[in-house]
Amino acid sequence: MSLWRIAWTYLWHRKLTTVLTMLSVALGVALITAVLTLRDETRKRFEEEGQTFDIVVGAKGSALQLVLCAVYFMDRPPGNIALDVYEAIREEEFVHAAFPIGIGDSFQGFPIVGTTSEYLEHTRLDVRTEERARVLAFAEGRNFEAPMEIVLGAHVARTTGVILGDQVVGTHGFIELSERVLEQVGGHSHADTPYMVVGILQPSNSPNDRALFTDIHSVWEIHGEAGHFPEWHGAEEDDHADHDHVDECEHEYEYELEREHEHAHEQSGTSPQEQQTHAADQVTAVLVQLDSPGDRFYFKDLVNRKYNAAADIPIQVIERLYDQLLSTAKTVLLAVGYLVVVVSALSILIGLYLSILQRRRDLAIMRALGASAYEIFGAILIEAFWVTLLGIGLGWLLGGATTYGLSAFMSARFGMTIGAFTLGRDALNAYGVILFVGMLAGVLPAWQAYRADVARDLARA
Amino acid sequence: MITLEQCQRRLGPGVVFHCEHFHAPAGAHVALWGPSGCGKSTMLNLISGLLTPDAGRVVVDGVETHKLGDAAMDHFRGERFGFVFQTFNLLAPFTALQNIMLAMRFSDTVPSSEWRSRARELLERVGLEHRRHSRPATMSVGEQQRVAIARALANRPKIVVADEPTGSLDPKNAQAVMELLLEVCDEAHVTFLLVTHERGLAHRLPNQFDCSVLIREEARS
Repeated sequence: MSLWRIAWTYLWHRKLTTVLTMLSVALGVALITAVLTLRDETRKRFEEEGQTFDIVVGAKGSALQLVLCAVYFMDRPPGNIALDVYEAIREEEFVHAAFPIGIGDSFQGFPIVGTTSEYLEHTRLDVRTEERARVLAFAEGRNFEAPMEIVLGAHVARTTGVILGDQVVGTHGFIELSERVLEQVGGHSHADTPYMVVGILQPSNSPNDRALFTDIHSVWEIHGEAGHFPEWHGAEEDDHADHDHVDECEHEYEYELEREHEHAHEQSGTSPQEQQTHAADQVTAVLVQLDSPGDRFYFKDLVNRKYNAAADIPIQVIERLYDQLLSTAKTVLLAVGYLVVVVSALSILIGLYLSILQRRRDLAIMRALGASAYEIFGAILIEAFWVTLLGIGLGWLLGGATTYGLSAFMSARFGMTIGAFTLGRDALNAYGVILFVGMLAGVLPAWQAYRADVARDLARA
Repeated sequence: MITLEQCQRRLGPGVVFHCEHFHAPAGAHVALWGPSGCGKSTMLNLISGLLTPDAGRVVVDGVETHKLGDAAMDHFRGERFGFVFQTFNLLAPFTALQNIMLAMRFSDTVPSSEWRSRARELLERVGLEHRRHSRPATMSVGEQQRVAIARALANRPKIVVADEPTGSLDPKNAQAVMELLLEVCDEAHVTFLLVTHERGLAHRLPNQFDCSVLIREEARS
């Protein structure tokens, strides 16, 4: 019978105290696990997608907004750039591939992305093998070949129930409105120009899962008729999309449309009719893949100097976002997690200390049977080890379950699923620290047992 | 086998345990008797090394135990001694079988491969083989004492010490436990030291040692 078994038997003997102490450790560990997993996994997913395109070119303004809009389909466009820019960039040296992106409409809240059919065949460079592999594959159907044909991301198809051969109608912006409301606000549903679903993509665990893809000519065609190539106010409108207050939506939608029109006029100094003629000359952004990622900085400077557009490196923008903004949030949450662990360590200390007081005679009997003071010290320390280790195990499961729940949300919201039950290096380091703190909490009770007066404790009835 | 010479231990301010001379030959059965608080248990603790003397000698099985370090004494005690206490003898979380195996775990006397079989054999000897998986809380005090007797013999000790082993038992159980204790000590040819305040019980053993004069109060200046 090993000391481990002896320690375990004593813990099992006082199950309630053990479980409560273990739970307090688990709560801290769960928080730390969830924070680290979310940080690592979201970063990994963002970086994967960010690495797919070396450069994003769009209207001058917020780089983050541009990247979130054009690469992740999460934000409204900062503006449009001339189609000429896309055509010129495509012909630049070092360019492996360039894809125009036109965003403005949505279907049931999912963005409709106008691009070229090559976008759905784009590849990702594996920096280790230096080989390119296709990112997207078709589950059903085929790529779009003509205007008004559309391909659905996997999440869109699953969520909306749309199947191959169905027709879908785009809505201006990023909100689903009833026909009545649309009529009242100016008829920005494109009911008269439905898309034909010709393909459905396999899940790719990327933003492409929650978007619809069509020929950019379709977008130009629709907005040629509708009035102008739109500034997308989807993000603001989407904030209210979950509300049932239709009236509230109506007012906000009308307000957005007015702002949108005014904004377009101010920018160009042209009338809506004049804008209409320019619609086909614009794209929201251009996604660029270079022959070598090493040319990113050179190419970014080149575009910024040469064209009336802004170029940014998506991965750089995302890393900046993580380092500047999200790392602060992570630090705060981790601090809370470690605080919980310190409190848990105190509860381990108190629990073991009280347990030692209660079983002084037991420990004295063990000494009388021949157990050395070191063995008693070791047995108590092992108890602290067991409680902390089990707390870590339970905390890992709780943290994983939390992340799993959040993953479903992330998938619906951003088209990215994240691994829930993972073990990153940072998490392993954190668990090591927690285990050390837990055992440290066991040292005082163990020392108390080590120094016990055996003869006196044996005399206790 | 056991010798105490000029053995002294301070127990508190002005209170001193002093044993001029005590000797128990190998295989002897000796009762240490006297009223409560007279120093019987202190003497037993000095013999078993749970206390160390401030002065004098303690020799057990040819070893001057007062010269041993803590770890060596723990090891020595585990090998040579078997204990039976008055009450709360057994460790509550462990079964009867495990309590006996625990004693063997803390000593190198019995190979680990034999722990289980020896524990069962000893439980059978004290008539409790059927209670091997019972925990102390489910056993009567008499049964617990019988398991404690089995545990005391687990490491094939040379000395068994029993501190008021029948103090918590009714007369019928007390007699049964005492008879069992004497029987097994005879069978194992061990030196047996019994601490008791009952003169009648002490006289059931062939040798008695009067402990009533072991505690002295020092004169205050």
